[in-house]
Amino acid sequence: MSVSATYDVVVIGGGHNGLTAAATLAKKGKSVCVIEKAEAFGGMAREVAHLLYNLHPKVARELGLGALNEGKPLSTISLAEDGNHVEISGDTVRFADGAAHPDAAAYAEMIRRLKKFAGVLGQLSTKTPPKLDGGLTSLATLGELAGLAKMGLDLKRLGKKDMNEFLRVILTNAYDLVLDEMPDGPLAGALCADAVRGNFVGPRSPGTVFNLMYRLGQGGDVRLPKGGMIAVARAFEDAARKAGVDLRAGQGVTRVLIENDTVNGVELEDGTVINTRAVLSSAAPKATMEMAGIEHFDVEAARRMRHMRCKGSVAKLTLTLKDAPSIKGLSWDQMKSRFLIAPSAAAVERSFNPVKYNELPTAPVIEAVIPTLSDVEVASDGRHILSANIQHVPHTPEGGWDDAKRRHVINTVVAQLETHMPGLAALVESPDLLTPADIEARTGAPGGHWHHAEMGVDQILTVRPVNGMAHYRFAIGGLYLCGAAAHPGGDVTGLPGRNSALQLLKDGVLS
Amino acid sequence: MGQHDTYDAIIAGAGHNGLTTACYLAKAGLKVLIVEKNDWIGGASVSRSLHDGWTYSNCSYVCSLLRREIVRDLELPRFGLQVIPYEGGASFTPDGDYFAYYSDHDALRREMFRHSPADVDAYERFSQTVIRQCRFIRPFLLRNAPDPSSLRPRDLNELLFLLKKAHGLGAKELGETLRFWTMSIGDFLDEHFENDLIKAHIAGAGIIGTGLGVYSPGTAYVLLHHYMGDVDGAIGAWGFARGGMGAIANALGACFEEAGGTIVTGSGVDQFLVKDGKTVGVALENGDTYQAPIVASNMDVKRTFLNHTETKHLPEDFTRAVKRFKIRGSSGKLNIALDSLPEFPAAPKGSPFLRGDMHCSQSLNELERAYDDWKEGHWSKDPYFDMLIPSQIDPTLAPPGKHMMTVFVQYAPYDLEVNGVRSGENWNDETRKAFADCVFDKIEVAMPDIRKHVLHAEIRTPWDIEKEVGLTEGNIFQGELTFDQLLFNRPVPGYAQYRTPIDGMYLVGSSAHPGGGVMAAPGANAAREILRNIGKGDLMPKHAA
Ligand SMILES: Cc1cc2nc3c(=O)[nH]c(=O)nc-3n(C[C@H](O)[C@H](O)[C@H](O)COP(=O)(O)OP(=O)(O)OC[C@H]3O[C@@H](n4cnc5c(N)ncnc54)[C@H](O)[C@@H]3O)c2cc1C
Ligand SMILES: Cc1cc2nc3c(=O)[nH]c(=O)nc-3n(C[C@H](O)[C@H](O)[C@H](O)COP(=O)(O)OP(=O)(O)OC[C@H]3O[C@@H](n4cnc5c(N)ncnc54)[C@H](O)[C@@H]3O)c2cc1C
Repeated sequence: MSVSATYDVVVIGGGHNGLTAAATLAKKGKSVCVIEKAEAFGGMAREVAHLLYNLHPKVARELGLGALNEGKPLSTISLAEDGNHVEISGDTVRFADGAAHPDAAAYAEMIRRLKKFAGVLGQLSTKTPPKLDGGLTSLATLGELAGLAKMGLDLKRLGKKDMNEFLRVILTNAYDLVLDEMPDGPLAGALCADAVRGNFVGPRSPGTVFNLMYRLGQGGDVRLPKGGMIAVARAFEDAARKAGVDLRAGQGVTRVLIENDTVNGVELEDGTVINTRAVLSSAAPKATMEMAGIEHFDVEAARRMRHMRCKGSVAKLTLTLKDAPSIKGLSWDQMKSRFLIAPSAAAVERSFNPVKYNELPTAPVIEAVIPTLSDVEVASDGRHILSANIQHVPHTPEGGWDDAKRRHVINTVVAQLETHMPGLAALVESPDLLTPADIEARTGAPGGHWHHAEMGVDQILTVRPVNGMAHYRFAIGGLYLCGAAAHPGGDVTGLPGRNSALQLLKDGVLS
Repeated sequence: MGQHDTYDAIIAGAGHNGLTTACYLAKAGLKVLIVEKNDWIGGASVSRSLHDGWTYSNCSYVCSLLRREIVRDLELPRFGLQVIPYEGGASFTPDGDYFAYYSDHDALRREMFRHSPADVDAYERFSQTVIRQCRFIRPFLLRNAPDPSSLRPRDLNELLFLLKKAHGLGAKELGETLRFWTMSIGDFLDEHFENDLIKAHIAGAGIIGTGLGVYSPGTAYVLLHHYMGDVDGAIGAWGFARGGMGAIANALGACFEEAGGTIVTGSGVDQFLVKDGKTVGVALENGDTYQAPIVASNMDVKRTFLNHTETKHLPEDFTRAVKRFKIRGSSGKLNIALDSLPEFPAAPKGSPFLRGDMHCSQSLNELERAYDDWKEGHWSKDPYFDMLIPSQIDPTLAPPGKHMMTVFVQYAPYDLEVNGVRSGENWNDETRKAFADCVFDKIEVAMPDIRKHVLHAEIRTPWDIEKEVGLTEGNIFQGELTFDQLLFNRPVPGYAQYRTPIDGMYLVGSSAHPGGGVMAAPGANAAREILRNIGKGDLMPKHAA
């Protein structure tokens, strides 16, 4: 066993949140090291994400990543079985051929309201969630609630009508919310698809309106930065390096070393020990618990962690194409859009049925983009890439994954795309499918889950990832969570990393 | 023509909630009239004889939620109400076994051990959590739901009450409470138990009456809604009203009449009459009109305002909110006359659990699939049911040696899908029979020769329930019990306190807080509001909340 170095802070995992946490601390003069198991940094942002929907402007500003949030957002085209595709850009909706959409006004009004609500909720996302220790009347709690009071004030400013509406819809389901305002079809389908994205739910599940608001937190724009998500991952990496962080890739942490209930180091796969006063982990909470030694946690905490919900159900399919596909009626420019195959709210709900029983999808919801049309840098020799997120696909179907099952998923998705992109199948050179199980194996994301932990109403805010561990502090002195499983949750936002770093500083562990 | 009498207050509908409101008002000295569209009273709390010699509890069939305070205030036992608790229940399996839910603690532990040793201790944890949540929620049932967007002192007081109660819970428990109120019954049970059959047995209470599946968030709360009652103080226990659930309505009716009230049956309200924004009375379908400065509707919020009130009297926002109020029906029912007690090959003769609630659901996944069928407008091919033979305990329900069986079934849609068209009109004798056959097939798991014993069966779908009781879309709770329709959101944000946009008009049925079930709490709470509004608040009995 060799002691190789000493840092103020070691960050486990060099996904974008680990990198954000590290950069935030290094900028405050702390010595920080990031340990990444994989060969490259960026985690899921690099391996599976394909669009930027939610990068928080504060993070972008603090890390000097503002450029990522610039440029024209992509429009979304919800593909219709009858060819009347619906194009959504910001608050406006029309048919892809330019014709007016009958539900445009209803849509605009609904999005306006939801964005307003999302803005109120957004104030919570940059803070540690309020603590409930000592019940609701102790001083410490009141302090924590002061932040909430500000939100309360803003709620009042919403006006009585909007406030009533906010309190009504906050816990409700997207299916009803949407169909109260418009008939079912590709527009309703698109809203429902965004409301369930990444979670193990259908649009009828209560709580999906909250998810839709989460998605609208930064306005809901969808961006494809120059150079693709690899460039995004690299930008986070560069920001950390520039701030003075030591970055080590290629081997993971196996143990968090603890003395007197306080962190004092980590051990790597090859036995190297790194001394440190604090550890921020963006690895799975349960894995983090195990690295620290389950005996340091009370039975209740261990039980809660065991039951944390994290059934991943989004698979990633990357198709390398001999040539660019086209969709009848869409211009070259429109082909650069984000495509959704979500023909109706009912269809989105139906896509959730099989995965509940670990069955393969028959008509999954697809979010697809062809980044090579926007960005010549990622295209090579005339080939194109089509990247698709497929929901819902079971983590592991009955009997496990085998070639036949993989082929079934690939064929199902290609056939669905083919109905809109005639000739697509013939263009496919190499389909690359990452099932939730593959994603878990490759990135360590628990269950391969998009958010590391389900964003259900019972697993957000004060109970994220589990009750009693919602404040980044992870039971042991100096040990913190800083990944997507922590508040406010997943997507490439940078917030869990940033908030966790700030909480560590506030707690005075390093002073 | 017709009647033109004037009253202090008129109640539209003689469901148990309307009757409850009426009793309190009459006892406070008001001259009260109830008008009921059916020839009988009770609404969904009713006993009827459809086959000679048998009495069916046509809709609701077991009692637990009825608030003790109300039973005491109105002296219902003196008017014949007697609730007899039943013991336990069972879930039967296709391979000839069963899981018995004994009410005796030790027997239950032994039975759990027989199926799954690990679940014995899990059950203790499960019960503790549920009981703790019940204790937390019970005091809220007979109070107003606070309006968080209001700064009126009364609302602030109610909020403070809520906070104080929540404070009593402590940090961890508060967190657990937040989780419990928002999670699914499936996840909750998966956290505790290992055995599929045990989970399926308990899960039913999380979906009864709802348009949600066992894995839909919010169903743990629905379970609570079924556990928060009591029989004689035993929290979570259920019982039979002697003479069927109509006995509750009849006791209320007798109490009301003794207090000087009048009930007119056989013609429903056609219009709630409004003048200058104030309620003035009701016009009935038969042409009679009655005047009163206070009118309370026992109908659900949709029926009240969309069918029987002129829209011009209502703010546009309010009407829109009422239109989007969710009231999907999901339950059907079979009421069956049996020539004798069927055989239960799996169970030892005379087993106590045969007198309780019986099921044939095997797993949470099976229940979830039953829900998937309903979403598409079909009845569940493999349905959930809650089945009892109350005549074993209450001999007044059937001739000697013969029996009455009640089977509550989920899921059944209101707007049945046939050939791509979803409509209530698709329910006809043929589809009704196919639905019942599907249920009988599954009952055979427990009672293989059930069909041989059937003398008569009443088959009820959500469509039938709407037609008879007036419950819109056949929703048994007068509105779904989802977060957006509970507490200060029930039935409509800003009108959660039994008042309506029309001066003098109130809502007293299950559409109002705290919701459905034979609980009488909406009716009693509404009476308190009405009396308070006319300066007679001190005539309402005080409850130690
Ligand atoms: C199919 C799919 C598509 C998605 N698409 C998008 C999208 O288009 N846009 C979007 O915003 N979000 C998307 N997401 C979600 C988003 O990618 C994640 O929420 C986010 O990237 C999580 O970031 P993180 O830094 O918290 O965790 P991760 O990116 O998972 O980083 C954790 C890191 O820790 C490392 N690690 C684990 N254990 C150890 C150890 N013991 N020692 C050292 N290192 C360790 C892992 O290798 C990994 O690099 C998608 C998710 C999925 C599943
Ligand atoms: C099949 C079924 C099974 C159930 N099982 C149980 C159970 O076992 N236990 C339990 O606690 N709860 C159960 N419930 C729920 C419970 O019965 C109801 O929530 C409750 O009875 C509703 O009472 P209410 O007074 O609010 O309304 P209702 O009972 O609906 O009363 C409304 C009354 O208004 C009358 N009316 C309608 N329109 C008009 C009009 N235009 N003019 C005048 N009168 C009108 C109706 O005829 C009715 O009498 C069940 C319900 C159903 C349908």
